[in-house]
Amino acid sequence: MKRWRRPLIVFLAALLAGAVRMPFEAALTGKLRAEGLLPGHLPIGTLDKIGQTGALVALGGLRTLVATFFNLRAYTFFTECRWDDVADTFDVIVELAPQTIYYWETGAAHQAYNASSYYLNDSDLPPLRRDAAWRAAVLKGRAFLERGIRNNPGNPKLNAYLGYLLTDGKKNRAFRDADATYLAAAEAYKIAADSREALPFFRRFQLYALARVAGREAEALALARQLYQASSNRTPTLQCVYFALEVHANPAPIDPEGFALSIFGSPKQAYVTLSNYWVRGGERLPVHGVARALKALETKLAIPADKSVFVQHPIREGEDE
Amino acid sequence: MSPTPVSPARSNRGSHCGRIAVIATHAFTQLVRMKVFYFLAVFAVIVIGSNFFDLPQHVGPESAGINVLNSIKNWSIGMMSLFSVVFAIVATALLLPKDVEDRTLYTILAKPVPRIDYLAGKLLGVLLLVFVSLALMDVLMTVVLQIRTSMILSGQMEMAHSRGWPAAEIASLRADILSQGPNASLQGAVWAVFLRASIMASLALLISTFSTSTLFTSITSFLVYFIGYFQADARDVFLESGTAGTGWLARTVSLVVSLVLPDFHLFNVIDAVIQGQAMPLIRLGELTGIGLFYAVFYVLASWFIFAEKEF
Repeated sequence: MKRWRRPLIVFLAALLAGAVRMPFEAALTGKLRAEGLLPGHLPIGTLDKIGQTGALVALGGLRTLVATFFNLRAYTFFTECRWDDVADTFDVIVELAPQTIYYWETGAAHQAYNASSYYLNDSDLPPLRRDAAWRAAVLKGRAFLERGIRNNPGNPKLNAYLGYLLTDGKKNRAFRDADATYLAAAEAYKIAADSREALPFFRRFQLYALARVAGREAEALALARQLYQASSNRTPTLQCVYFALEVHANPAPIDPEGFALSIFGSPKQAYVTLSNYWVRGGERLPVHGVARALKALETKLAIPADKSVFVQHPIREGEDE
Repeated sequence: MSPTPVSPARSNRGSHCGRIAVIATHAFTQLVRMKVFYFLAVFAVIVIGSNFFDLPQHVGPESAGINVLNSIKNWSIGMMSLFSVVFAIVATALLLPKDVEDRTLYTILAKPVPRIDYLAGKLLGVLLLVFVSLALMDVLMTVVLQIRTSMILSGQMEMAHSRGWPAAEIASLRADILSQGPNASLQGAVWAVFLRASIMASLALLISTFSTSTLFTSITSFLVYFIGYFQADARDVFLESGTAGTGWLARTVSLVVSLVLPDFHLFNVIDAVIQGQAMPLIRLGELTGIGLFYAVFYVLASWFIFAEKEF
């Protein structure tokens, strides 16, 4: 009994010391979690997927190291076009290293771009199934990206990437409701633009997304006017969007040709910029007054009829007001 | 002029430090003779190798190289963690039995050496070796990371300029790359690796004071190490058990685990730093405070048990 007296006292002292340090540790854990410095718990599913050895290494404080190995494995699956395996592997990778933005971007790109294109060109599938597989892959990519944003709230890169995916003309038909999609893109770009590390084009891209949402023209115009104030923002697309939104807001008082000249400087510059904008008709950008201005400018610049921008890109119903 | 009298207490304190330093130096030399530094050669090969290892690039050219920087940090910190924990446990577990086997312990304890001095000296010897090894590994990692970061930076800047990227985007790309390079937070992560090894060494010292074999001490320490990563879960179970309706047995077990075992979950901040997060100095200070608390407690507990031990 005497032999165990001291270890027993040490055990009791450990309990006492534990009671003293527990509040500090709990508080520090809370602070580190709030600052994004402590990852969450690894789900059981992830532990199963990485195997016993991997789990042991990951649980021993080397999660990101295991993630690096899985990144290599994902690359092998990618080269073999094993898209489900790529998706599963990236699910594991982001559980292990949720703050590595590169993994979220890459995982989403594999699904939304690589896998979707692969399915679209998969000659073994009938057309309907190809389209369904293409759509499922794009949606999977979006869902993965949104998960990344939930794990890294406010991250400008992930939000900008989501905005990019949602406004990508080759992908966004997968999302069905165009207005809701562009609105979500505008929201994503807004979050990216509001962040400390925002790039200047994020705000302009927010405008381009918002301008495509039916019923939000007034809001878009207010943003366009604000952005137009700074000369650094006066890119050709922004000038054209601003032009179209102003014409939409004031259809009667504005003379499109005169207004175009006030924005673009010269008739030639106005014609070049607006015609380049007009040919992007498939992007759903606002085109109010653009056709009218182009017609007037073609007359002014004496553009021959066979060289008119409308030869290859005619006015469609309801495209000009 | 007569010499300034030295109070007995001060003299005693000085001799404590002196004795601890002598024992620590001896333990350090003893461990160095075990050819521990050979590990550094393995580390150097891995770190330098990871620098030349071109990882597959999944996404666009603007991300090129960033995953390689991540990989260098992962490999380096991973190796440091592995080395420091394994070494801290095994070396500490070996110390007492080896001194008994060599009969050095009897010689030391036969002299007027307080047992706390002996234990603290031995532990400091181990920690000194871990510290020196980690410092050397850190220097190597920083140099390799700096070289690779500069290479990637110049390549990416060339790419951005050739494509006519605006200045703001170039600055953002530069910041992205530099955030993955060597920085103060990464040094903080290496310090956290050392703290974790210190806790494990002092815990292994405590176990070795009542253990009868090196193997038992090592295995128990490794088990405690892994369970320590779940300590925070046990604490959460206990703290939230009132609302979750947990049974008394689960509550008691979770309470005992969270009170007795060290919380290694806190050291997962190392992972966040590898991923590019910045670690505030205040958090590193708090982590150091907790690490010191454990180390001091385990040393005192070891002394309490060791003080009565008969050889």
